[in-house]
Amino acid sequence: MKIVIIGASAAGISAAKTIKTSEPDTEVVIISKEDSVHSRCMLHKFLGHERDAKGISFIADNFFESSGITWLNNTTVIGLDAQKKTVKTHDNQDISYDKLLIATGASYFIPPIPGLRESKNVYGFRDLKDAQLLDNECNTAQNAVVIGAGLVGMDAAVAMLERGLKVTVIEMTQAVMSLQLDQKSAQAYQQLFEEHGAEFILNDKVVSVDVDEVGRGKTIHLASGKAVPADVIVIAAGVRPAFNFTEGSGIDTNHAILVGDDLKTNIDDIYAAGDVTGIAGIWPNAMKQGRIAAINMLGEKLLYEDRYALKNTVNFYGLTTLSLGNINPEPEENCEILMREDRYNYQKVVLKKGVVQGVIIQGNIGGTGFWQYLIKNKIDVSGINKDVFSLSYADFYDQDQNTGEYRYAV
Amino acid sequence: MKRIIIDREKCDGCLNCNIACISAHEEGSNFYTVNMQSPEAETRNFIKFDAQKGYLPIFCRHCDEPECVLSCMSGALEKDPLTGHVQYDESKCAACYMCVMNCPYGVLKPDKQTRTKVIKCDFCEDKPDGPSCVKACPKKAIEVKEVSL
Repeated sequence: MKIVIIGASAAGISAAKTIKTSEPDTEVVIISKEDSVHSRCMLHKFLGHERDAKGISFIADNFFESSGITWLNNTTVIGLDAQKKTVKTHDNQDISYDKLLIATGASYFIPPIPGLRESKNVYGFRDLKDAQLLDNECNTAQNAVVIGAGLVGMDAAVAMLERGLKVTVIEMTQAVMSLQLDQKSAQAYQQLFEEHGAEFILNDKVVSVDVDEVGRGKTIHLASGKAVPADVIVIAAGVRPAFNFTEGSGIDTNHAILVGDDLKTNIDDIYAAGDVTGIAGIWPNAMKQGRIAAINMLGEKLLYEDRYALKNTVNFYGLTTLSLGNINPEPEENCEILMREDRYNYQKVVLKKGVVQGVIIQGNIGGTGFWQYLIKNKIDVSGINKDVFSLSYADFYDQDQNTGEYRYAV
Repeated sequence: MKRIIIDREKCDGCLNCNIACISAHEEGSNFYTVNMQSPEAETRNFIKFDAQKGYLPIFCRHCDEPECVLSCMSGALEKDPLTGHVQYDESKCAACYMCVMNCPYGVLKPDKQTRTKVIKCDFCEDKPDGPSCVKACPKKAIEVKEVSL
């Protein structure tokens, strides 16, 4: 059997590994438009000159050779014929498959703001290629502007601060990382970034960009009337699943490729995993989806049930935060909010009828992995006779007598 | 694979396993010389106490389906196909702490000193006699046993 995987990031690589481990005789071809395999969560370490391109790889040096996988790099898939079971590449190859996995991820999006798309010095921060282009600009630029203060924007900002640029971050909402943090935990990061030289303009948005005679965006105009000078501009205003090539193939899509719990599309033999499915835009989920899609392509029937995606960790300047679930409930949700803090820690637990809805743990996050289980499985903790902040896995302790693995006693 | 099997009824909470773990990761130290005050003194195993249930030893299981490995975006955490143990390569780690978030049993933690690495059981792979915690347990509440995958 021949399995073709489009995309060489978390989902694609995890699928390929799974296939080669369970059925090594399967022919596996990976097609990727990049010429390297890298972890996009480490791009800031590349841009900040903490690591080189090889240092942000997440596979072994000889991964493809040693696992017997054919890798077509620098290759973009431009078409898909589901009847003939072939994909077409930019250099006009038709590559046949028995099973196909679409793991093309997502791509960034430049909002239609006058001057912004036209500017030659606007970059996303998604792939190594973006980071390399930005790296070049950082050699000469003095003023950097980051549009969007989500995790990606903050990653770009921290790297450019590291490079000695003057960095201004513009954000529409009233706080940084507003999907992951509440006001208080966000403030802690904003302050750290400011101590390292960043400037934040919150509650504001870009209305236009002045482009100079060589096509470079020079001045960014905001709704408030402010004008910010820019030598380089990073756009971090969200991403969209990337699947242009499926047009006309008959694959059902809306804003993403639609899959069932088995991660199969509406067409037999075509599966999708990772960001392109729109299920969950984070690394662990993409890895798991790649694995499950691979097992199903090999003829098993495994369901992807871990759809829980409201989770993240943040680590900037040594300040660590765990964020899970609904952390900023609306008043009408009638949640109970408990907070505890000391000099080094801020903790917040959101409860509704004894069930944990969300937590923020900022500071010491050691041993906090159990919270995700409680939230995901809607465990009622009201019967446990102790302070919610002293809960740990020990309160649900149980073991499998045969294997010695832990379980949850709930 | 070999796993540290826990008989929690036998545990009396003496914490010798903690000290053994810290000593095993402080080069050249032993039970009597280990510097417990060092900022680098970190234990990889934990004993919790519950008034009803008694002592609850929490040790890395090197899980069959390790969530920490699945969540690792740098390739620092890998399950060794031969030993079955989850190995950690500090030089690859990007300290994103997705593994801390995803370990359902709360075993993993960032290092308290620098927050640049993960503190995780390495099964004392470099020690000929196996895990130091097991050797140090006076009650035989933890023992290395072969379990089938």
